[in-house]
This record gives sequence, structure tokens and C-alpha cells, in this order.
Amino acid sequence: MDVLASLLQGFATAVTPMNLMWCLLGTTLGTAIGILPGIGPALTIALLLPITAKLDPTGAFIMFAGLYYGAMYGSSTTSILLNTPGESGSIITAVEGNVMAKNGRGAAALATAAIGSFVAGTLGTIAITFLAPLFVKLALLFGPAEYFALMVLAFTTVSALLGLSLSRGITSLLLGLAIGLVGTDVLTGQPRLTFDILSLLRGIDIVVVAVGLFAVGEALYMASRPDMRAGEIVPIRGSIFMTAEEWRRSWKPWLRGTALGFPFGALPAGGTEIPTFLSYFLEKRMSKKPEEFGKGAIEGVAGPEAANNAAVAGVLVPLLTLGLPTSATAAILLAAFEQYNLKPGPLLFSSSSTLVWGLIASLYIGNVMLLILNLPLAGLWVRLLAIPQPLLYGGILLFSTLGVYSLNNSTFDLVLLFLVGILGFLMRRYDFPVAPCIIGLILGRLAEAQFRRALTISQGDATVFFTHPLSLALLIIAALVFVGPLFYRWRAAKLQSAKTAG
Amino acid sequence: MKPDTPKSAAGLAIGLGLLLLGGIIFYDASQMQIPPTYAKVGPQAFPYFIALGLAVVGAYFAWNSWTPAARREIAAEGFTTDWRALLIIGAGLLIHLNILKPLGFVIAGVFLFMCIAFAFGSRSFVRDGIVAVILVVLSYVGFTHGLGLQLPPGILAGLL
Repeated sequence: MDVLASLLQGFATAVTPMNLMWCLLGTTLGTAIGILPGIGPALTIALLLPITAKLDPTGAFIMFAGLYYGAMYGSSTTSILLNTPGESGSIITAVEGNVMAKNGRGAAALATAAIGSFVAGTLGTIAITFLAPLFVKLALLFGPAEYFALMVLAFTTVSALLGLSLSRGITSLLLGLAIGLVGTDVLTGQPRLTFDILSLLRGIDIVVVAVGLFAVGEALYMASRPDMRAGEIVPIRGSIFMTAEEWRRSWKPWLRGTALGFPFGALPAGGTEIPTFLSYFLEKRMSKKPEEFGKGAIEGVAGPEAANNAAVAGVLVPLLTLGLPTSATAAILLAAFEQYNLKPGPLLFSSSSTLVWGLIASLYIGNVMLLILNLPLAGLWVRLLAIPQPLLYGGILLFSTLGVYSLNNSTFDLVLLFLVGILGFLMRRYDFPVAPCIIGLILGRLAEAQFRRALTISQGDATVFFTHPLSLALLIIAALVFVGPLFYRWRAAKLQSAKTAG
Repeated sequence: MKPDTPKSAAGLAIGLGLLLLGGIIFYDASQMQIPPTYAKVGPQAFPYFIALGLAVVGAYFAWNSWTPAARREIAAEGFTTDWRALLIIGAGLLIHLNILKPLGFVIAGVFLFMCIAFAFGSRSFVRDGIVAVILVVLSYVGFTHGLGLQLPPGILAGLL
């Protein structure tokens, strides 16, 4: 077994004291930022990029991965006790979880969320272990045309599936693509959208955009909405040891949630929201007591939390094997790979196998650490929620400006941060999703490079994208994702008018 | 929700803004001097495509702001906006980036922290000040001495 041998090698890398320390640091920090509203994994990893530039990449990635998993564990705590999701994947957890907490079953809700996250995270990591090598074999068949088609597919899925409406998703994506244009064109040295400003020639760093959209935009938005500031923390009550009844009601939702979540993450379908919503409605339909939903049904916490964590694990498969990010955090992780001159893709598994398998092995270890950190210590973490909001946002903006400034030691980046922050505020205010913008920014450059490479190979023959069967198939799926919802709405409207006419 | 207005001003502004952005990108691409060898798939193709896309969504949002309220993408806001807090944070960020180099990271950082806390409604200046000084000094020492980042010392140079 090739995979098992590689995985064992990975464990050998991951259990060195240094790497265990990075894993512990990542999972602890991840839990903290998951619990704190207003700060998430994408923002935190973006802020850590300038600081970690000189570290050993394996250690840095083990920390990032721990942080990424940890944020999902932590955010469920905030959802349950504060009714404010720490991350978007925990929105649905707040529905049942907060009711459970108010009914004095907060501890059980936290326990089923943490154990469900552990089950899903571990099963998801096992799936990564065995799927990644298969994806690598598939990826080796890809030429520039196929990569371009795949990126088009990723563009359409992230804009169609994230956020309120297709038009908003596409707008966000186009804004990201436009920001990505700024700078010097790699192939010709042609400056684009630089307006003769010297500092713009090197382009706009993804860290500036991510921090601007997530930290500055969010802070401006929260400051503008006094009505959203107050929140009531429900104290943890009940035993963290779930009763036999609660175990019996939880284990199936955990497994079903995992089965729903992982494919959503692994296919370039983007986002953790949809599988969590699907899991919630599936559990409600399968429950023998659907009337309990909305009044604190434990299945409504167990299923979505598992789906959330499985999706988070799934996202790593296309990221590592194809270099294709399908969430904002994955896009930042891709930027982290670029920082170390590593190129995620099939070759990463042969050229940096120590790093990749060390990273995968550390995910298993991280999950165990997170279970320990989150289950018995939940009471300690909750104290983070007592930080007054003025101090929390003061700290977030302090570290945001620090991180962005230290990218290039340039105050011009702070000007850009300010401008992107205003954009982020407007997007937040008018419900434009932010993730497509981040993904468009980093993937736009890669898509353009593949597009031009494919056309150079074919000597300018644009049919290359439609004559390669794989490329054609991907483009057809992309078109379906794009047209499908429109067609559905058109038919619904037609049925509606037919009904009123008849 | 506010009562139905004849059109959504925010929706119209968003639409026109996107159209303008598309126009700028189109103009920028059209001004490029491209050597003929790259004529086929040069650095202009993508900007043109993005400009077109922005124009389409911009036109859509502008058109949509005139449709009946129920089908509008950008509806009237059903909440009050604290513009004063926004202005304070905006001004704080702009002042911060201007004093960062001359006065140094520590003074600029304490100013920014207290400014944001004030905008978020805190009036406990002593508490905010103490937290700000501790946080800023610790991060300055940690990042410069511990992680080797270069942060501007400003007028406190030599003290920390």
C-alpha cells in the first residue's frame, strides 16, 4: 500500500516536537479566532503570512491547517452560546444550538458539535488521504486548456453558490478579477491599471485585499450597525457527558453530515454553508419527531456541524492536488504556497512529499487536539466572548494594519487597505459575498496564464477548449451551473403565471 | 423596511459604479502598446472580458433599481446607520497611516486602537488606554525583537 507508507512517513514528520508545537499553536489559535466574532481563518492566515515568511514551510502549513480546522470547532461554540455564528458554516448550528443552550442543554449541544466535528474531521481526513492520490493521477492528464476550463467551473460555482444571488456572486468575482489585473503583466511586462503609480506595478497583494475586506470592511460595518452590537451569552449548563439517548440521536446525523459535507468541499462547489443547510433539512425530514426542530433538536446541531467540518476537509483535496481554491481560506492558503515558491498540484506530491504528507498526518493529530481543547475546556474558551467589542475591534484593526504594513514596509499598502476596506463595507452592507472576490483575485491570474498558454500551444486556435473532451465536459458543467438556476427561476415564474391565468 | 420608494438609489449607484469601473478597465486596456507578436492573445484579452462583465452586471443593477420593489436586488435598508462611527474609523485609519512613520508604530498604534474603541461606543478611556499601551508595546517588542520585522520606531526610537 503506497498511500499507507506515505502516510506513515507523514506521521514521522508530524510527530517531531517542533511540528507538534506548530500543530498545537495552530489549533489553539484557530479555536480562539473561531470563537471570536469578527475574525476568521482567512483573515488570520493572511495576517500570519508576512510573519511566517521566514519559517520552515512544513511547520507553517501544519500551523495553518490546525488553524483552519480549529476555527470550525470554535465557531460552533459562539453559535450555540451567543446565537452569533463565528463563521458562515455555523449559521445553522445557531438555530438549534442556541435554543438548546437556553433550555439548559448547552453542554450537550457543545459536546455533540465537538464530537461531530471530530468524527467528520477524521473521516474527512481519511478521505483526503485516499482521494488525493487519485486526484493527482487525474490532474496529470490536465493540460492548460483543461486547467482553464476547471477554473471557469470554479468561478461559476463559487459565484452561483455563495451568497444571496447569482448577480451578486458574479459582481464579487469580477471585482476580484479586476483587482487581480492591477500590476505588471507577467508575459509581456505590460503595466495594467497602474495609473502611472510606481507602487502599483508589483500588483495588489492578496493579503491587503483579504484583510481589507474581512477586517476593515467588517469593522466599518459593525460600527455602522449599533443594533447588531449587543449579544447575550448563555452560560453553559448541563453535563458535557452526553446521555445514551443523546448519543443514539447524534451518531447517524454525524455520519450523514459527513457524507453530505465532504463532496461539497472536494468538488469545486465551494463553501460550507450549503452542505450545512442541506444536512439540517435532511435531519428534519428523517427525524421521527420533526416538531422538535426549532425547539432544540440535537440532530440539528450534530448533522450540520459534521457537514461543516467535512466540507472544510474536502476543500483541501482540490487545493493540494489541483491548486484550485474553492473557499476564501483556501485562496489564502494558495497564496501561502506561492510565498514559499511551492506550486500546489500533482507535482507537489512528488517534489514536496514530506510537506504534503506531514500536513495530512498533522490533520489527524490536530483533530485529536481539537477534541481535547474544545470538549473539557469549553468553559475556558467562553471567557473570550466577554472581551468588550470596542477592545476586540481595536485589536483587530491594530493587528490588521501591522500585518499589512509589514508586507512591504510601505504606507501605500495602508492606503490600499483603507480603499479595499471601504469596498468591503459596501459589499457587506449590500449583501455581496466576499469569498468570490478573494478567489477571483488569486485564480484570475492563474486562469489568464493557462488561457494564454493553451492558445499559444494551439497557435491561437480558440477551439482547443472545446475539442479536448475533458475541457469540454468541464465547460458544459460550468454552463449548467450558470444557466440552471436561471432556467429554474424562469420555469417557476412561467408556472406561476400559468396558474394565475388559469 | 422603509415604504416603497420609486427607485433604489443605492442600487442605481452600485450599477453606475460598476459601469464606470468597467469603462476605466476598457480604456486602460485600449491604451496598451502591444508588440505585434503578442497580437493574438495579448494582455488585453482578459481586461476586455472583465470590463464587459462589469458593464453587464452594472447595467443589470442600474436597470433593476427601477423595477417594482419586490423584485429589486438592493432594497431600502431597514436599519439605521451610525455614520458618525464610520467617519471616526475612516479618519482614524487615515491619520494612522500618516503618523505611522514620523511618530512611530507605538504612538500611531495606541492612537488607532483608542480611536476604534471610541467609535464602537467605549467611553472608558483609562481602560482603553491601558489595554492599548500594553498590546502595542508587547507587539512592537515581540515582532521587532522576536520575529525580526521592521516597524517604524519614530520619536520613541531607542526607548524600546
